[in-house]
Amino acid sequence: MSDPLYTEIIIDEARNAQNEGTIENPDVSQHDANPMCGDSITLQLKVDDDSISDIKWSGDGCTICKACTSVLTQLAKGKDLDYAKNLKKEEILSELGLEYLVKQSPVRIKCALLSLKVLKLGLYSYLAKKLGDSATSFDSLKEEAANLY
Amino acid sequence: MQSASLSIESARKDFPILDRKVRDGKQLVYLDNASTTQKPKQVIDTITNYYNNYNANIHRSVYSIAEEATEAYEKTRDKVAKFINVPKREEIIFVRGTTEGINLVAYAWGRKHIKEGDIIVTTEYEHHSNIVPWQLLTKEKGAKLEYIGVDDNGELILDQLDKYLATGKVKLVAFSLMSNVLGTISDYETIISKCKKAGVKTLVDGAQAVPHMRVDLQKIGCDFFAFSGHKMLGPTGIGVLWVRKEVLETMDPFHGGGDMIREVHKYETTWNDLPYKFEAGTPNIADVIGFGAALDYLSNLGMENVRNHEIELTKYALDKMSQIKGIMIYGTKDISKRGGVISFNFHDVHPHDIATIVDREGIAIRSGHHCAQVLMERLDVAATNRASFYIYNTKDDVDKLIQSLQKVSELFKL
Repeated sequence: MSDPLYTEIIIDEARNAQNEGTIENPDVSQHDANPMCGDSITLQLKVDDDSISDIKWSGDGCTICKACTSVLTQLAKGKDLDYAKNLKKEEILSELGLEYLVKQSPVRIKCALLSLKVLKLGLYSYLAKKLGDSATSFDSLKEEAANLY
Repeated sequence: MQSASLSIESARKDFPILDRKVRDGKQLVYLDNASTTQKPKQVIDTITNYYNNYNANIHRSVYSIAEEATEAYEKTRDKVAKFINVPKREEIIFVRGTTEGINLVAYAWGRKHIKEGDIIVTTEYEHHSNIVPWQLLTKEKGAKLEYIGVDDNGELILDQLDKYLATGKVKLVAFSLMSNVLGTISDYETIISKCKKAGVKTLVDGAQAVPHMRVDLQKIGCDFFAFSGHKMLGPTGIGVLWVRKEVLETMDPFHGGGDMIREVHKYETTWNDLPYKFEAGTPNIADVIGFGAALDYLSNLGMENVRNHEIELTKYALDKMSQIKGIMIYGTKDISKRGGVISFNFHDVHPHDIATIVDREGIAIRSGHHCAQVLMERLDVAATNRASFYIYNTKDDVDKLIQSLQKVSELFKL
């Protein structure tokens, strides 16, 4: 039995989702939810020398949401902040063969990209707090998060 | 015109959408009736006929089609009065839906009568539309919002109401006649008699009940009652708020504007008679008239027949579904205490995934929190799946849903 959306890759990724949990004293802690479907994700990050030394997620979501969150955390872990800031939705979707969702399913794309939105919002808050007034250069990050899907 | 021979068995043919094929030729199986129902051609034709033949504004002009439009609009008010058994047509206010009806009460009654320290009581199984307006009101007034809890059987814990009433501070108890998630039919007799003894007003959300069972407002005896047209074969954007006249007369207007006034001067205005005082602006004329056709359709079927059909279908579905391994069905199993709404979870598969997979078979069920997040917290789940029935659903629809759950099992290797 096969299904265009529920491929084994996605179901396995969600079942064995990586980096689930919480971090003590995180540098970034950000939450968001999709009001329509109830997916709800919190991301926590530990930042050392402008690089993401640890990242964990907690919350509840559907298979698509969990699989994409798992992929996102694996991509971001150990990378520097610049990489995470510029992380594109296509990079996450392509890991799971979900690029077509952008055009074909305006509903389910929200499940797929919730965690990326949370990451961008979290990084924005972190950088804005760290840099104070000079953080206006990161406004684009907030805007990108708001317009992700 | 409907014939007297309308029956549940032949109702399906009146719904053009039920012939639809979706998802590569699958027959549409529509099981999201608690969300909105489909429309029979009698309703669709009535709306088209209004626009084709007598579209005009109401209550204003003397020319022929304006008179026809006004008459058709006002005739629906009489149909509503008969349908829910209220003697005074001026107590019936047309609104956009249940949500607007409850907000009207919170604004026009609540802002006048609720004071600091007062208590408003609602329940844990309310739709957001019977929670959020009370949160807004109590926050504005420094009043308090309290909840009647839900037990493990999906029924209200009415002892808690006694505790709140004993404070002497309760001004309103607002509850739904039927839960949109659990299907539980509230024990309105007990709630309202307790409230009457305590001199407390009651608001009943009838959105889920009025479409599915005979509702008699004189028997219920509440003070406010709201329901929606689109959940009972009518168009979207039309609903009813009923308010007991003695209470309505104490209320300030909701919206200011045309039609709700008697005389307007530069700094003073006098109000129109009831119910027009609460119907500002050009109303949703076409859909009120269409709603009238929906009421005719249901009256011809007979609400007892509607209820019996749903009892049979729900019993069948509950029997079959409870045999599936890994299914969790919420709410009471006592069919006399519930409507045709079945919320369930299946193994640990997220409802959103289940709804997507059964949709591949053409089956429309709802997944999510059903605008009842307070209840989701109580049940300790993020979301549920919900199948809900109406007059055109069959046992075959239930069988198809169950077969599609089999597909979920296969995909997820459950």
